[in-house]
Formats: sequence, C-alpha cells, structure tokens
Amino acid sequence: MIEVNQLTKKFGRKKVLDGVSFTANKGEITCLIGINGVGKTTTLKAIMGLTSFSKGSILIDGQKINKNMYEKVAFIPDAITMLPQMTIKQAMQFMQDFYQNWNQERATELLTFFKLDEKSRISELSKGNTAKINLLMGLAIDVDYILMDEPFSGIDIFSREQIADVFASHLIEDRGVIITTHEINDIEHLIDKVILLDNGIVLKEFNTEQMRQEEGKSVVDVMREVYQG
Amino acid sequence: MKSYVKLVNFEVNRFIKIYVSLLIITLLSQFIGVIVISTGLMKRAHEVMFEQNLSEKAYLHQFGGFDFTHISSTPWFIGPIALCIAALIFYSFLIWYRDWFGKNTFAYRLLMLPTARISLYFSKATAILVLIFGLLAFQMILLPLENALFESLIQENFLQTSMDVSSILQSNGILGIIIPPYFSDFLISYGIGIMFVFVLFTSILFERSFRLKGIVLGILYFIAAVLLYLSPLFIIGNETMPVLYPEEIFAIFLVLGIFIIGVSIIIGNWLISKRVLV
Amino acid sequence: MNATFNNRDPVYLQVVRYFKEQIANGNLVAGQEIPSRRELAATMKINPNTAQKAYKEMEEQDLITTERNYPSKITKNENILQSVREELIITAVESFLQSIRPINVPIDELLRIVQEKYSKESSKEGL
Repeated sequence: MIEVNQLTKKFGRKKVLDGVSFTANKGEITCLIGINGVGKTTTLKAIMGLTSFSKGSILIDGQKINKNMYEKVAFIPDAITMLPQMTIKQAMQFMQDFYQNWNQERATELLTFFKLDEKSRISELSKGNTAKINLLMGLAIDVDYILMDEPFSGIDIFSREQIADVFASHLIEDRGVIITTHEINDIEHLIDKVILLDNGIVLKEFNTEQMRQEEGKSVVDVMREVYQG
Repeated sequence: MKSYVKLVNFEVNRFIKIYVSLLIITLLSQFIGVIVISTGLMKRAHEVMFEQNLSEKAYLHQFGGFDFTHISSTPWFIGPIALCIAALIFYSFLIWYRDWFGKNTFAYRLLMLPTARISLYFSKATAILVLIFGLLAFQMILLPLENALFESLIQENFLQTSMDVSSILQSNGILGIIIPPYFSDFLISYGIGIMFVFVLFTSILFERSFRLKGIVLGILYFIAAVLLYLSPLFIIGNETMPVLYPEEIFAIFLVLGIFIIGVSIIIGNWLISKRVLV
Repeated sequence: MNATFNNRDPVYLQVVRYFKEQIANGNLVAGQEIPSRRELAATMKINPNTAQKAYKEMEEQDLITTERNYPSKITKNENILQSVREELIITAVESFLQSIRPINVPIDELLRIVQEKYSKESSKEGL
C-alpha cells in the first residue's frame, strides 16, 4: 500500500499541495484526477523522491522511499526518459544493466503487444509510441507499484486504446497502479478508485464500483458534482 | 559499486565521439605543425644564408639553431590543447545539463536508478577526470614522437639542443602547468583541477535544486570555495605572520583542498539525494 | 466476446448480465468452460478485479461452478439456466411495458405490431 499523509508542498508562497492524504492499494488502479493545477504530477514526484516537500509523509509498504524502492516502484513521467540516440534495444539493455528486477521476457512481450520494433530509435518514435516505450520501461521491471503521469494526454486514439488494454491484461497482474489524468473517458471502466484533487486538496475519494452500486453515479457524474458544485 | 563503474563507463561513452575527434584534432594539428614549422624554419634559414651569403657556421653563430620550443609555443601546438581544455570545461556543465534539457528527460531515469544518488555525482566527476587524464596521457605519448619528427626534419647542425620530454615541459610556461614535469607540481595542478570539478558540480546542483535562487547560491558557493582556498595567500603576504617553509605552505593547501572537496561532496550528496528537481 | 458498458451501473453486474444473455440465447450452454478471469478482463477490457467480482457474483447465483484448479464452467442445473432465460425475458418485457404503457395502445394492435416488427427484424438478421 502507498500511503500519502498530509502531503504539503509550496512553490514560493503558493501551496501546490495542502495536506493531501490518500492510499493506493496493491492490485488496484487508483486514479488521481484534477481539472487544473500541477498537484497531481507533484504528488507522484514526491512519492518517487523526485521533489522535496515541506510537510507530511509518504510510505510505500510501510517504508520511506530509498534507492531499493526503485526496484519496487516505477514512475512513468509524461516525458521520455531514455536518450534520443538510443535504439529501443539499447534502452532495454541500459535498464537490464541497472535493474536487478528487469524482466526481459516481459519486455519482449510488451514490444509485441505494442507492435514496436526494437531497432527503432527513441528519437524517431511518435508521441503515442513514446508513451508505450515509457510504459514498457516501467512494466518490464518486476515492480509492485506503477505510477503514471498523464499516460493518455496528447496521443492518438489507437495508442490510448492499446495502453488502456494493458491495464485490463495480465501485464499489470496484481500490481498497484496510480494514474494521473484530467480526463477519464478511456479508462472509466478500468479504475478501482478515484481521488479528486483541486487546488492542492483532496475533494473526494471513492471506489468506482461502490459509487455505481450505491448511488448509480458514473465517475464523470461525481466529477461534475464536485467540481461544478 | 557495480553501478558506479557502469555509470562511469556510460558517461565516458556518451562523450566518446567528441572526445575522439578532439584527440584526432590534437594529433593532426600538432604533427602538421611540426612538419610545417620545421620545414619553414629550414627554408627560412637557407634563404637568409643565401641572401646574406653566410656559411652554416656563420649563420648559426649569428642566429643560433632551433629547438622544440620553436614548436611548442605555436598555435599549431597550443591551439588544440586550449581547445581540449575549453571542451572539457564546457562538458563539465553539459554532463549535467544534457540530462535535464530537451524533449527527453534522462534525469528522471538516472535519479530513479536503484543505486545511491551520490554514485551519479561521482560517476560524472570520474568521467570528467578520466577524460582529462586521457588527454594528458595522449599528449605524453605524442610529445616524444613529435620531438623525434622535429629532430628528423631539422638538419643536424641546426639542432641547437636535443631536448627530452621533461626539458620541453619545463621550457614552456603553459605546457608546464598542463603537464607539470615534477610530481609535486603535478599533484598541485591536478589537485586543484579535481577540486575545481567537485566545487563546480556542487554549484551546478545548487542551481538544479533551487533553480533561480540556486544560481545565486551556486555562484556564492563557488566564490566562497575559491576564496577559502586562496586565503593562505593573504596570510602569507602579511608581514606579522611567521615565515613558512614551502613544505608547510604545501601542507596548508593540501589540507584546504581536501577540506573543500569533502565539503563539496557532502553538500552535493545532500542536494542530489534530497533536493534536486526534475 | 463484445459488450459495451454504461458508466452508471456497476461494471461487474453488467458482466453478469452479459453472461445471462449469452446463456439465454444459447451461446453459452450447460457445462461449457468459460474464460479465466484474466482472459475475460483482457477481452472485455475491464479491470481484473471487476472480472473477479463478476465471477464471484455468478458463483453466488449458481450460474457457474468452479472446482479448484479447473476453469469455471456454466452450471449444468437446467432449472437455473431456465430461470435465467425467464428472468431476462420478464425484465425485458417489463421495461418494454413501462415505456409503452403511457401511449395507451390497445393490446391487440400492440401484439400485431410486435409480431410484425419482431419477425421482420429476425429475418433481416438472417434468423
């Protein structure tokens, strides 16, 4: 379980996160939704130890982030994290060199799943394929948790579908997933839990199936209520 | 430790194409320089002898012969060295900033490697030092070859003194700093060089951690380190202070250097582990 | 296996309903093996947790049976299969009646139209 507790982060005087608390379970897909602001990405970066914060705590299975956590949690940012001159094959080799938990079999499977050629250069990939390679680099490490920042933003519909398909497949297995997004059309059926953020605070946290069963509301219904009053 | 070695290898490889080009430029420029200058010198000497109707002996008596300092002070020779130094200073910045800038943010990948982040700092520093010492070794190999070529191109009588490598180094101020002929000078030159790399890296990390505010912090840190290192000079110059032996002065600089490197690493470690932003 | 889901009903119940439809129209028969939870999630593009929950629901309703380490199968209990069919027909008719009642059509006319339309639709589909 990833526990975010009273997370507070300031940029200058502005509070980007103001006491954000939530949990994300293993085996579940948790979606951090925010209409505007940078709070979502900052939260993921804070979990990964890629930004400092002024208050609060973050625990991953009871532990603070440390170097060994990077074998346990993968972060997939909205920018590609490999060198442009590398081929996909070289990029995978780099990962294999540094991560004990790198699973080449799964990497190959993902390449096939995404219909990508390992001889392609990173710099030649389309935005959609870039997102897929990012996802591959995260999923092919045998991590327990995967954090994805805006995996669907700015990419073509077919790439979006393929990425959404991954969430329904055995490739995710029983890992915990946290996704940030500002639109959820592609994944509404797939997510277990929703956290609605706005101006650095959590407005609402709910389980999607429970919400449908008990109140007959879709995620978008709840978003409309919460954000538009 | 294993990751550190892999990272050093990785960082060196990322620069290898430019590096090899630098080596080739140095090689070509210096050898062509030796050929062009030596033949030029001989041609000129013969012209002068012809015009003024001088015998070899009379010419040598009047103008003196040639030695390798005629080569080692020319742009053919010093130019590529200056280029290499400039390239490596530039690369000391680029080795960090290339991971942050552009469409691909490799810094994410590096900072999320399952290894202590200080390894990144050390691997980049080591890479720079490996590149510097590589250039140095290359120059050390080239020098005797160039010298031999020079001596073969100059007629025996015109060769003023046959120089060995160490006298070549001593004869040229710039070369003497880059490749100090004495071991203690070597230590001072490269001790300062290593300190420079660490202080610069920590200054860069200030900037990468606090951005605008970090630029100020980084510059202040750099200035403070330089002033601290030079502080004995102010004291030594003071007449009220006791006169120090060279060994004592050397020891003071050594201790200060080690102290500044240590502080830079400690601050650098804190910045890259806890503060750095992507 | 293709189903479209609405966003307001629990997805797992929609999956259960999909299976009931397949039983009612004979696509799934007594004792037939059904896909694993993983396969179902992948083909229906739903969360594996949801597939799991749907299977659990179907087990509780005795629609499927699962023995340890074997794929789940559609029940062989004809009574249950029959009642699934009836249940679907009745709920469909009820919702049809609910929308037609306000128009107040005489029952004879209604039945005639239903018959015409239904056989036309069926022949169009090549049934």
